[in-house]
Amino acid sequence: MQTSHDTIAPFGGFGLGLRRTHYEDFLERGDGPDVPVDFVEVISENYMIEGGRQLRILEAVREKHPVIIHGVSMSIGSAGGLDADYLDKLKVLERRIDPLWVSDHLCWTRTSAHNSHDLLPLPLTGEALDAVCANIDRAQDHLGRPMLFENPSSYLTFPEDELTEWEFLSEMARRTGCYLLLDVNNIYVSSQNHGFSADDYLAGLPLERVRQIHLAGHDPATEHRDIIIDTHDREVCDAVWALYAKAMRMLPGPVATMIERDDNIPPLGELLAELERARGLADDVREPVPA
Amino acid sequence: MSAADLAQQQAAFMAQVLNENAALPAGWGNSQAAGMQVYRGNYRSALMDALGDTFERVKQYVGDAPFAQVAAHHAITNPPASWTIDDAGAGFEDSCAQLFGNNPEVAELAWLEWTMLGLATAPDAEPLNGEDFGSATAEFGDEDWGAMKLVLAPRTAAREVAHDLTAIWNSLGEGGAELGEFTLEGPGGCLVWREGEQPVFIMVNAEQARAFRAVQNGASYGEICMVLAGDNAGEQDIADAAMRAGAMLGGWLNDGLIIGLA
Repeated sequence: MQTSHDTIAPFGGFGLGLRRTHYEDFLERGDGPDVPVDFVEVISENYMIEGGRQLRILEAVREKHPVIIHGVSMSIGSAGGLDADYLDKLKVLERRIDPLWVSDHLCWTRTSAHNSHDLLPLPLTGEALDAVCANIDRAQDHLGRPMLFENPSSYLTFPEDELTEWEFLSEMARRTGCYLLLDVNNIYVSSQNHGFSADDYLAGLPLERVRQIHLAGHDPATEHRDIIIDTHDREVCDAVWALYAKAMRMLPGPVATMIERDDNIPPLGELLAELERARGLADDVREPVPA
Repeated sequence: MSAADLAQQQAAFMAQVLNENAALPAGWGNSQAAGMQVYRGNYRSALMDALGDTFERVKQYVGDAPFAQVAAHHAITNPPASWTIDDAGAGFEDSCAQLFGNNPEVAELAWLEWTMLGLATAPDAEPLNGEDFGSATAEFGDEDWGAMKLVLAPRTAAREVAHDLTAIWNSLGEGGAELGEFTLEGPGGCLVWREGEQPVFIMVNAEQARAFRAVQNGASYGEICMVLAGDNAGEQDIADAAMRAGAMLGGWLNDGLIIGLA
């Protein structure tokens, strides 16, 4: 059941994920200009700690930039419910940082006994939807704010699926009042892996609920492997840029855009150049067409 | 499918991820089998990477292939349960002890790296400086000294060790160490704490490691002196022990390990 939370105002900035490799870039700018990003996204779990250097760095970065906290371990799809300790620690971080928003993934990561530390796929069924919505209600109530949930990349579908992923996400947002983090690369990866149309996916979503877009690179299929893997270890490919441009044309209002890189992390300048490409594409598609 | 069915399905899926010999669920075809291979690969590589990052020096010391073996053994015998992958290294010292039985220094090195990881994210605490300590104890009589308890900085740790961990650490920093050349002549100790933001350690004697652990377990200063004096101690033994306890206390204060008195 949806409970009342504040809404999240649209924000059309361009940002990067804060990774250890770039700590010094963000901190040691002296009197020079800050890193030219409109926001910084951090992996929540890396900062759900009690003290030490990492927290101090995050607080220093927060003084210069708005921060989004993005989780990978809430396990919103767990049939056994959410981990109370996790929620408490996330709330401490949320209070400490006052982020633009808090996000996680439409997936599950753990059972009562084990944690996979991977974003595992949910069967797209009514029962799974009920479990997800109950968990989102609990998380949003605990944090006292609405969250964003990201569409995952997936490598298998279940024979018992009853809904498409976009139908599942739409109903999830409608029932819980949560917002969507649209990972365009994940749409591309899953559409190729499972043979659905990325256009249908975009057309089927409640785009007014989207507040952020993720862009990332993936490992293409090979002669020996039909599956595309979401690796975040290389540049965004042209097909994903094209899908991003299409999404930007369809979205009814401003959204935040971020480049994700988690492996083979290049110097900051390369990521800023990639982010500049996103800015350019967004500007192009938002350019009013003269009469 | 009910919520109970979903829980059952997730438990079965997790079993598939953890155990590549587990039979696939009924109704699954080749596409699901291929997808499961990706999830299994992701799980293993995430764990191996996390253990490799946490136990960087153990990996360097034993070499990549033996490390991969102990990491795989650890992942199978201790599948992660915590929401943070940082906790995947809990118990790795025991896994090292099992697989490197002829090289017990590996388990000691694993303990050291694990302790330092914990210290890196420990709550921040302001050390008690010598001046504050002097003020707090200025009016102490003998009984007050005997009853005094020390509050230690969070997650500081000590243990008895049989190998020169400083020598291993430094030789790895210099590019390589031979297994097994670091045995101490007698029992030693290792003390680990955080200096500002940086976890650090020093080798101490075994007596100091025991005393530190006694403090952690709630022993008073007087009790520490008696522990150091040993059983059937005479007056001189007790006086000597008090001198040694005083020296230890001075060192701990100086290094910022003490944050208060209780």
